[in-house]
Amino acid sequence: MTLDFVVDDIDRSIVDQLRINGRATNQQIADHLGLTATTVSSRIRRMEDANQLRVVAVSDFSAHGYNVLMEVAIEVDGRAASDVAADLAKFPEVFAAHVVTGRYDIDMLVVLRDFDELPGLLLDKFSQVAGIRSMMPTIAVDVIKYKFDVAPIEEQVPA
Amino acid sequence: MTAPQLDDLDRQLIDILSKDARVSNRKIAADLGVTEGTVRGRIKRLQQDGLIAFTAITGFSLSNHAKLAFIGVQAEVGRVRDVARQIAEMPLVTGVMITMGQFNILAICVFDELENLVEQASDPILSISGVHHVETSIAVKTLKYNPRVVRITEKDRVIDNGD
Repeated sequence: MTLDFVVDDIDRSIVDQLRINGRATNQQIADHLGLTATTVSSRIRRMEDANQLRVVAVSDFSAHGYNVLMEVAIEVDGRAASDVAADLAKFPEVFAAHVVTGRYDIDMLVVLRDFDELPGLLLDKFSQVAGIRSMMPTIAVDVIKYKFDVAPIEEQVPA
Repeated sequence: MTAPQLDDLDRQLIDILSKDARVSNRKIAADLGVTEGTVRGRIKRLQQDGLIAFTAITGFSLSNHAKLAFIGVQAEVGRVRDVARQIAEMPLVTGVMITMGQFNILAICVFDELENLVEQASDPILSISGVHHVETSIAVKTLKYNPRVVRITEKDRVIDNGD
């Protein structure tokens, strides 16, 4: 992560425009903010090159066939929580894995196509990971809000 | 929920746009060997169906709220939807799910200082009528996080660039 990367108000206003419409042209953004298209283009590229910005399409879980969304809290025993979380993060069903404070040590977001996949995930996959003392699943029955647009950004993949 | 019918072209479009949404329709059309009109029509339909949305994902230099917390809420069963909607209005709250398990609402928050998390999320949630108990846990290390696959709860505004 680039910790000393500095952004100014112009950068932020361009990002605000991109959040409203990620597919706005440089010219449209420039007209809206009273800048030139060249400025808009170079500002966007600078933030992208520093791995601080990606303008992307996000897709719904259902577009990938995922219909079951669960939070799984894990209690760890006899092993570093980071190591257990790193092993769990390798499974494609695990969409997010965090080491957390509190009663449980790891918090994960798990997605499945349907509940038939649950036994295999628990008994054949998670059970192979050493250090899990207990798992507490919480099933999402309705999502009211889901707006995560700040994230660690991976290195740019060369086109 | 009914499973959306997506074909290979839809999936290829999602794949391209999830890497970079600023590619022109013309370039996508050329790469996939279809017309610009097809690309434009497909993107519009995916947006209208709530399957994709265009946004800017920013790193932590562009955010004042770099830390993540999970708040489990036990609320009166008959008032869960109403409580969940009130929690969703709070500024630090980025995600709210109604759940089945030890809690019936899970709120996900971003914050800068612990004090602000308590003052602007944990305490206000606990003051909502019908809330019995909240438990806050803070992410101290993130090993995996995929910001590109989400639950789209508001249909993205369809904006046709005509390009």
